Amino acid sequence: MATSKLQALWNHPAGPKTIHFWAPTFKWGISIANIADFAKPPEKISYPQQIAVTATGLIWSRYSLVITPKNWNLFSVNVAMASTGLYQLSRKIRQDYFSDEKEATAQLEG
Amino acid sequence: MSSAFKAFLNSSVGPKTTHFWGPVSNWGLVLASVADTKKPPEMISGNMTGVLCVYSALFIRFAWMVRPRNHFLMVTHMSNECVQLYQLSRWARAQG
Repeated sequence: MATSKLQALWNHPAGPKTIHFWAPTFKWGISIANIADFAKPPEKISYPQQIAVTATGLIWSRYSLVITPKNWNLFSVNVAMASTGLYQLSRKIRQDYFSDEKEATAQLEG
Repeated sequence: MSSAFKAFLNSSVGPKTTHFWGPVSNWGLVLASVADTKKPPEMISGNMTGVLCVYSALFIRFAWMVRPRNHFLMVTHMSNECVQLYQLSRWARAQG
């Protein structure tokens, strides 16, 4: 019984033998790469790239809910992209615009 | 002339559909990376660039196989593939 259900999934037209499965699945890599980059110093974050990742994530999140059928898989991966992008942007903005006082003081003293 | 334009406007992957505007947003990634080619390679994220190379390769195939076939998405990812591979080569060379 379980075998035939697994077989049905395995042979599905959007299943793991097809690009319809692997392309959206691999999109998770973008969010995972961003999470790995949380450890990097904010100087190395690229504003254009993170803005693009965030915007793309937000737009595709909306679109995945207006298509028929709604694609929750696509929705979740794009929500993750937008979230990690927003976090990276917040890290860089915080450093560029909200920690200047400390750095300026350190430079004066040093 | 205008009938070709009308055909585009009313196409199943045209500007009245989400199949058009999603890929438009994907151009943001391409343009962002083109802008980043002017920056020093130390700013390139090997993680992100490597992932984007594989991601766009997969989506070129996806855009071809999906119905309706989406040439615009395909060209978007072909362009991204080029710029990401270039950035990856700059990053790799800077690793020393």
